[in-house]
Amino acid sequence: MISFQQVGKTYADGTVAVAATDLTADSGRITVLVGPSGSGKTTLLRMVNRMIDPTSGSILIDGVDIRSKPAPELRRGIGYVIQNAGLFPHRTVLANVMTVPRLLGWSKDRARERAMELLATVGLAEEHAKRYPFQLSGGQQQRVGVARALAADPPVLLMDEPFSAVDPVVRKDLQTELLRIQSELEKTILFVTHDIDEAILLGDKVAVLNTGGVLEQFDTPTELLASPKNAFVEGFLGADRGVRRLSFFPSETVPLRTDPIVTLDTTPAEVLARKSEQPWLLVVDAGRRPLGWLPEQRVPADGDLQKVPAGDLVSYGHTFAVDRDTLRAALDSAVLSPSSRAVGVDPEGRVVGVATVEDLVPVIRAAQNGSTPENGR
Amino acid sequence: MNLFPHIPSYLGTYGSLIQQQLTMALLSVLFGLIAAVPLALLCVRYPKIYPPIVAVLTVVYSLPSIALFVLLVPSTGLTQTTVIIPLTLYSLAALVPNIVEGVRGIPEDVRLAAVAMGYTGARRLVAVDLPLAVPPIMAGLRIATVGNVSMVSVGTVIGVGAFGALFTVAAQLSRSDLAITGVIVIVLLALACDLLLVVTQRLLTPWNKRRPR
Repeated sequence: MISFQQVGKTYADGTVAVAATDLTADSGRITVLVGPSGSGKTTLLRMVNRMIDPTSGSILIDGVDIRSKPAPELRRGIGYVIQNAGLFPHRTVLANVMTVPRLLGWSKDRARERAMELLATVGLAEEHAKRYPFQLSGGQQQRVGVARALAADPPVLLMDEPFSAVDPVVRKDLQTELLRIQSELEKTILFVTHDIDEAILLGDKVAVLNTGGVLEQFDTPTELLASPKNAFVEGFLGADRGVRRLSFFPSETVPLRTDPIVTLDTTPAEVLARKSEQPWLLVVDAGRRPLGWLPEQRVPADGDLQKVPAGDLVSYGHTFAVDRDTLRAALDSAVLSPSSRAVGVDPEGRVVGVATVEDLVPVIRAAQNGSTPENGR
Repeated sequence: MNLFPHIPSYLGTYGSLIQQQLTMALLSVLFGLIAAVPLALLCVRYPKIYPPIVAVLTVVYSLPSIALFVLLVPSTGLTQTTVIIPLTLYSLAALVPNIVEGVRGIPEDVRLAAVAMGYTGARRLVAVDLPLAVPPIMAGLRIATVGNVSMVSVGTVIGVGAFGALFTVAAQLSRSDLAITGVIVIVLLALACDLLLVVTQRLLTPWNKRRPR
């Protein structure tokens, strides 16, 4: 646990970088500091490993004041990941990851073994170990950066805009990887970003900071999206916070209809009966995998689906996994479908049922009113 | 024309001339490097002293070596030392700015990462700062070495000029062939030293994507 107690930083010229701030980053959780530039988020982060000294207040890690030991010793016990990775260009990937263990006096063999283990953890192949940083892509460099920070197995990890310099696709990968690694390692992570989407995606709790280092709100992402405390936080969250908040609710509460689902073998009489009630029929194969939507006007007059040309089926768009995906995914699936219907599938991709946009409305309303959503991510 | 014309025996052989030329040139580069590293690091540590030190080094660089010989001879005599001291100062002038810029040129994120990993000042210097400054340091070494290999010849005015002595004899005896041969040998020596430094740098910096060719 990292506690900031009335921590402030005022420069000699009177500029306030951080106003007296109280903040607690829980153990084993990701706490995100988010805010525009000049909001003191990086300053706060760098105070934890004493790269910047506060002018007031104190910082405690698990109850121990960070000033109780020499700064270099403190830093070796705290992982640090920086924007652009900041790898040592003159060292191989392996040697980069071995840095802190070697500083701690581990033997070469032990440090190397640990480094190889970590490269696997962050998803890098063994062959990368002997390369130099300039031979890696930006995303790979940042993976090495994460491995290097984790090398000595520090309980605390500081991440300073680690993913902001890579392209959006790679960033998404790195974010997913971080969440996966965190679910295994349960580090106490303090994460700085200026990207509110990243904060909401990664944070167990999010601290929104304003210019001049003022902490405006410190809450879980769902609370933040549901009830921003003031105009600044609301503006920072953006206009679509309502929709984004849906990604914290599971889709399993969505009522699913099964009557629009037909197979190629459904009897013509049954098809005609369904057609009279449903403007859209979802055709599935024998394994219940979706084939496509059939609008009622294209249903053959005699109800024989075998006669339907494949081209008459309308794409079912993307499905949502009932047990894993969130309400947001379900809504997205419905809105994007030409039939305005979302297709819910099980883990094997078999259709469980469908829901119209109208079916989703009461569930969404319940979610917006409910105060304790499950952490669906 | 004979490429290696006979030279007067009192000058020694080509081999002994080359040996003298290289000894004086390379020793002065070596001493220059030994002095330049701490001086440059002081400049990095205390940026205020850098401009005056550069100014002094530039003035030293502009001093004619003959003038320095005059000042030195009373204490060091007509020896190689008298030639080596000014050349060491010239090397210093070429090396100090390169080392300072090299260490200062280390990317900010690399420097921050080194601090955050828990490096102490001295250890960081040896493990991160200096290795990363190798390319500019080598660039300075190349300038100093090539310059010194040629400048050693000036020592002839105090009688320890190696190939300089050859040029003096060439002038006295109107032996242009001796002068041409001397120039060719010096140029080849300088090129050989430079090549050696380039190879060394390639070996030292496999991590550098812009290695010298």
